[in-house]
Amino acid sequence: MRTAFAVAGASLRRIVRDRTAVFFIVVLPVVIMVVIGAVVQNPGGFRIGVLAGSTSSRPLAASLVEELAAVGPLHTMTAESDARTALRRGELDAVVLVPAGLDTALLAGDPVGIPVLAGGAESTQAAVRSAIAAAVARHAERIQAAAFAARTTGSTTAQQLPTATALQRATPRIGISTENVVTGSDYLPLGYSYSAPTMLVLFVFINALAGGAAIVQTRQLGIYQRAQAAPIRVRSVVLGETLCYLIFSLLQSVLIVAVGAVLFGVSWGDPLAAVVLIGTWAVVGTGAGMLSGAVFKTPDQASAIGPVIGIAFAMLGGCMWPLAIVPDAVRTLGHITPHAWAVDAWITVLSRDGGVADIAGNLAVLAAFALGMLTLASAVLQRRLTS
Amino acid sequence: MYAALVIAAKDLRQRFRDRSALILGFVAPIAVAALMSFAFSGVESFHADVAVIDNDRGRIATALRTALTGPELSGVLTVREADDEAQARRMIDDGAAGAALVIPAGFSAAAVGDEPIGLRVLADPDEPLQAEVARAVADAYVTQLNAGRLSVHTALAAGVPRSRGDELAAAVAGLRLPESLESRPTGHRQLTTASYYAPAMGIMFVLFAIGFTARSYFIEGRSGTLERIGAAPLRRGTVLLGKSLAVFVYSVVSLGTLAVVSSVAFDARWGPLLPAAALIVAMSTVLVALTTLVVAVARTERQADGFATIITFVLLLLGGNFVLISQAPEALRRLALLTPNGWALRGFTDLATGAAATSAITPVLILLGMAAAIGALSALVTCWRST
Repeated sequence: MRTAFAVAGASLRRIVRDRTAVFFIVVLPVVIMVVIGAVVQNPGGFRIGVLAGSTSSRPLAASLVEELAAVGPLHTMTAESDARTALRRGELDAVVLVPAGLDTALLAGDPVGIPVLAGGAESTQAAVRSAIAAAVARHAERIQAAAFAARTTGSTTAQQLPTATALQRATPRIGISTENVVTGSDYLPLGYSYSAPTMLVLFVFINALAGGAAIVQTRQLGIYQRAQAAPIRVRSVVLGETLCYLIFSLLQSVLIVAVGAVLFGVSWGDPLAAVVLIGTWAVVGTGAGMLSGAVFKTPDQASAIGPVIGIAFAMLGGCMWPLAIVPDAVRTLGHITPHAWAVDAWITVLSRDGGVADIAGNLAVLAAFALGMLTLASAVLQRRLTS
Repeated sequence: MYAALVIAAKDLRQRFRDRSALILGFVAPIAVAALMSFAFSGVESFHADVAVIDNDRGRIATALRTALTGPELSGVLTVREADDEAQARRMIDDGAAGAALVIPAGFSAAAVGDEPIGLRVLADPDEPLQAEVARAVADAYVTQLNAGRLSVHTALAAGVPRSRGDELAAAVAGLRLPESLESRPTGHRQLTTASYYAPAMGIMFVLFAIGFTARSYFIEGRSGTLERIGAAPLRRGTVLLGKSLAVFVYSVVSLGTLAVVSSVAFDARWGPLLPAAALIVAMSTVLVALTTLVVAVARTERQADGFATIITFVLLLLGGNFVLISQAPEALRRLALLTPNGWALRGFTDLATGAAATSAITPVLILLGMAAAIGALSALVTCWRST
């Protein structure tokens, strides 16, 4: 066992001394977590571009813009071409063109159409139009009320508008409330709570795979052979390397968990479930690293093909996007990777307040993946070292 | 020049013999683009299934149900009748409905009274758009009722005697909101996942070529090949030119193959041939410049590998190859435009969404400018090192 520890220590020192490896282990996961966390953070509502021109002498146009602010973050724009370009590139969900003669037409009692250009996927278009329609209707409500009151009392719409506006705030209206009836979600929470656990799954695996290059190099340099000249059993060498990858995977997990929790306020759910899941995933990473070291012929193959396999598995397994949005066949295919089982477990822990018992099935599958890879890696490595 | 061509041909032969280069340059980008295309195939179309529970059965409730099942909504919305709330909840749980609209008992009578009763939307947190559509459609209907109520209240507040309340209520029934939405065509094509991620993944994988080439330069240095070439009447610059040409051809062929395969197989749009080809060539030129920079800055094979990896991942992260950059906050979108891959992706996005072919001119010029600047920097570093 002492030999195994010595081998593990030597391998770990080698990884830690490699500056590129440090970049991959420390810097990259954190930066990716920040970028993806920022992109998937939902500020609420739709991104609306508004072309209203000057509203200083047009109070109705100004109040319409105010109503639109309820739909989501507003971007007041001055050139229609800029707004259309932003919409085309997907930087906005819709553009509202507030007509120049809006105040004049409404005060004269003429109906006005508010031109809206909706972009994005069909789903977004339908929803964004409905949301804008609701805001426009709320604005139109008080214009209609003011115009009606003006007609019935012989005054003007402009005179009745302040009353209609004040009453709109005070009068009970037919409201619509929304109630969530499903307690748990099939998605991870948005923002960093999404990117931190998924990047943990992605990077522990990818770095272990790429780290297999060290084993390949040690093999090529004949260090294992030389070690065998001493009274050291092959099993001890394999065990030492396994220990090294386990410690390496655990250290990286702890780093991501700590950065997520301390810098970005990520909640990791039930502590026991999180610890067991992180531990099990570290063993999966260990298996992947050992397998990479056993199977690849050159260090280049491990460091070049390893990340590609890691990224592809992460995509299939739901680290880049939620598997809940993909077609059933792709979701089923995704579950050939251990990533999908790990991400499912994180969803149970973080979105459904799950404990160890709730993720027992996922843990068993992950353990089976780890055991399979470790057994295969040990067999291949032992054969390579003894032949 | 002939010598440079010979070196380029040798490098290319070597690269295409190496399976990992083939995987990175051709198999992986096509596989990942295919995966993304399949994964998101269901996301780009939308249909809401909304259960309706009518506990009122009154005149206004019936009109609301009729509005929900109207022909103009049939493309977006399918209404499913539910007997009671429990059944609607079950339907949401089973996934048979994405949301439910509850019309409470007494709704019709209260809608014209002083204390109206609100509607309720039962939502699944995983289907926010379905709930939003259900809510917006119901809202569009009750807005007219609310506008009528507000009109009566405003007229009364303006001095119309309460005794004329019924007359006012009858008069508002015929009113229509003075503002409505006017959907305008955007005039552009929707950016599909395949059209964004095909070039994004292609660029990602050719960026890995920087590491390959820089490493091979140092390996040849270590093995004495460069020294032996030095015995011939060849300058180091010729060797570097040959290697650069190889990277350029590798990148153009890789991106070109991906463009053809993804267009034919996954319906990805790369835009008209000429501007798309210009973008591929310009991006490949930047790749050459980046490779020469890594060779100029690094002193060893290991350093070259490290620098290349860091440059590649920083560019990929900032440029938007991992995430749909249009969804990112504005600060990240601006950062993306500091990277060559960010500009290339902007060019491809513009072409894919139907912008004029001339829209590629700016990205191409900026990419060539970046290549020239990076090339000049590499030359400076090389001169400084040699003195």
